[in-house]
Amino acid sequence: MHIQLSWEDPITEEQQEPIFPLPLAFGRDLSQLPSRWQGQEVSRAVFTSREVSRYHALIYCSENGQVIYEDRSANGSRINGKKIRQARQVLTGGEVVQFGPYNVTVSLVASADEDPDATLLTRAHRGTPTLLLEPPTDLIRPDTRTPIDIPPPSTVVFAPEQIVDSRAAGEFPPPQLFQAEHISLAALRATGLPVEESEYLALGGGIGSFVWVDTLRIHGVKPEQIRVISIAQKPYERYERLLNNCQIPRWKRIRSGSDSCPDNIWGWPGYALREAWRSFFSGRVLEALGFLWQVFSEPLLADTYTPRAGDVFTAMDREAARIGWEQMLCYGNIRAIRKTEDGRYVVAYSATRAGHTDHRFRVAKYVHLATGYPAIKLLKDLQEFREQTGDLKSVVHGYEPHSHVYEHLEKHGGTVLIRGFGIVASQVMERIYEARKVNPRISVVHLSRSPKSGNRFGRAKRAVENHWEFQPYNWPKATWGGDLRAMLEAATPLERRELLELWGGTTTASRRKWRRAVQEGLQQGWYSILFGKVEKVELDNKGKPVTYIQGTHNNTQVKVEADFVIDCTGLVSDPMTNPLLNDLISHYHLPLNPHGRLHVSNDFELVEMRNREGRMYAAGIITLGGPYAPVDTFLGLQYCAHRSVEHLVRVRAPGTKTLEGIGSLWQWCKWALNLKP
Amino acid sequence: MTPTLIGRWQTRIFLLSTVGVLASLPFYFGLTGHGGSFTYFWVLLYVGLFGCGWDVIYNYLMGYMWDHDWPGVLQLLAGIWEGLFLGTVLMVIGLPYIPTQDFYLVDFILHYGFVWVGIYLSSWVVMRILFPRWRFRGGEWLGKWPHSPS
Repeated sequence: MHIQLSWEDPITEEQQEPIFPLPLAFGRDLSQLPSRWQGQEVSRAVFTSREVSRYHALIYCSENGQVIYEDRSANGSRINGKKIRQARQVLTGGEVVQFGPYNVTVSLVASADEDPDATLLTRAHRGTPTLLLEPPTDLIRPDTRTPIDIPPPSTVVFAPEQIVDSRAAGEFPPPQLFQAEHISLAALRATGLPVEESEYLALGGGIGSFVWVDTLRIHGVKPEQIRVISIAQKPYERYERLLNNCQIPRWKRIRSGSDSCPDNIWGWPGYALREAWRSFFSGRVLEALGFLWQVFSEPLLADTYTPRAGDVFTAMDREAARIGWEQMLCYGNIRAIRKTEDGRYVVAYSATRAGHTDHRFRVAKYVHLATGYPAIKLLKDLQEFREQTGDLKSVVHGYEPHSHVYEHLEKHGGTVLIRGFGIVASQVMERIYEARKVNPRISVVHLSRSPKSGNRFGRAKRAVENHWEFQPYNWPKATWGGDLRAMLEAATPLERRELLELWGGTTTASRRKWRRAVQEGLQQGWYSILFGKVEKVELDNKGKPVTYIQGTHNNTQVKVEADFVIDCTGLVSDPMTNPLLNDLISHYHLPLNPHGRLHVSNDFELVEMRNREGRMYAAGIITLGGPYAPVDTFLGLQYCAHRSVEHLVRVRAPGTKTLEGIGSLWQWCKWALNLKP
Repeated sequence: MTPTLIGRWQTRIFLLSTVGVLASLPFYFGLTGHGGSFTYFWVLLYVGLFGCGWDVIYNYLMGYMWDHDWPGVLQLLAGIWEGLFLGTVLMVIGLPYIPTQDFYLVDFILHYGFVWVGIYLSSWVVMRILFPRWRFRGGEWLGKWPHSPS
């Protein structure tokens, strides 16, 4: 008999589903877990939270074939919500076992049914008698790293513009030349391709690069010294496309704060004040006061203020024009990054447009890497469904275009199965709520692996209503600049992991409108929440996707037939799925943090990429799990930019000046008057 | 705002000694109330001294909020509470350099209210514009980022 434990990683939101032969012992401290029990080899699993005992529990097969959960912990465990401590209980499969911050679904698998591809972790350890699941607690160094599998390509097209000019081009960058650790400029020039030079170089033209360049410009660097390589014309291009896909057009509000302004490094005036100003002078005084009241009393007495997407983009357009963004922008697809022999970096990029091959090199001394989310991935069972059926219409991801779902529902009615409880699920629910006004014959089944009780940290508990967990932004607010930020930065990699697990998890914003929709849906019966673990999704004879769910009690099976399944889980943040980063990490053996993301210093420097005076920094989601939690947010990107630029000032990078006091006020005045920095 | 304890102290001391002093000048020169007096600066000092103590309590209470946030409305409540406390102490017991017979409640309310509004608005505007790192360091404006180990 084998046991499968499944849970969602609270930090990366990835599904974990390792399978172990019984008996299985788990706890916080590997050395306390027995390796043999009653003459049998024991599988061991380590969970790092301090709320888990050193030796927390043992799961074994009794003589009469029952699977027994034996709690040995100080704090106890909860099985389907019932507490047990220092006691035994029979498991029948499907139960949700709670210990510390983990909510783990247990499935019993007869040894013969074991899915050979169940998980990377068990595969990596196949052949060893003792299966060991030990999450990395320190930096993953290249020499100790287990071979990293590159996940199979997703059926979700994330960056359509990149497909046209894929890496299949072959001879660029020249493989021979790019095998070296350091490349000489002479060798680059000998290729006959253009070699351009600049002092500063931002890779990726998204919001991460934009705020870095903005910060640099305000710290004194001239536009002639900076270049940005990107395929996007506007810094918010990809972001806006994702917003559109998840049903947020420009006039709707995004989950971001008033003072998270990618167009203004000071955060004042925030978007709430600007919107209040505009409303006031358009004669809408009450509305103006409403915005000010929101920022004054959020989140205690009012819903948190959030800006309209369109207002943020307009403000970024103004700032882009002010700092000369277009002048710094070079069109191109980045192929590879290498150190040069003269203490700089070379970036090979392709500016190929239809019918005209154009390969180039750009050499720079200070490089900033902000390539964003590498991919969108469907949940495994949904991906399998799509591969088997070729049906890309009835099973969709919330981040891919799926307007046809709502059009169909408005015309014909139907049932939607939603997976995931994050902000995208809220947006989808809002859109369905609107669709129900057109056609009330629409119902929603919302699938959750386990009931939610709300994370706890210190004296605080996160709010939960109807199993939706609420938090104004994707991390607790103090992780942007409060005591939680300081705590995380000061922590060791292991402590960081523990803290992030306590603060992480899927949450959505508490908006009155959304909560009302859920409440109404539950009362009127068109919205229901179902608990269990998905076993498979198949096409039935009516051509609809049927989801088979293992319930949480007594191994019951539930079958849900729906017209559409919408996957509202997150984006993929694993840098190894991005060919450029994969090449960089493998070529220079860059260490990864315990979450498998790029390891950066507290100044967001990729220390192992130092090349004499040359410095390289990274920002955004590719640094998740490091010194800062909310790396993929507007303000988080501004923080990354602030730290790396302050670091550049300290190493006296050319053109940079300290920004403080009167100098800072002067720069702010220039911003306010829309003058060049 | 998401302050740290050190950040609360630093911001309080900075704003009281700049904006607070400026806002007290009209009172010192006797433009309002019962004529000019140096007492107003002693009041500022006590607001700062007691405040540093209150900050410890606020910091503790903040731990009950999931976001460890301190929104404007709590800043206002804290300001009212501190004013009530200091006003009562000055009226009933008196403090060194401010004897009860020199205490005029209306003057105190005017002065305290004026200083508080000045400081409240400055904490949102002046600190951010003068010290770009202030908001990322929980209100600490002194000092730089530590050198990261590498």
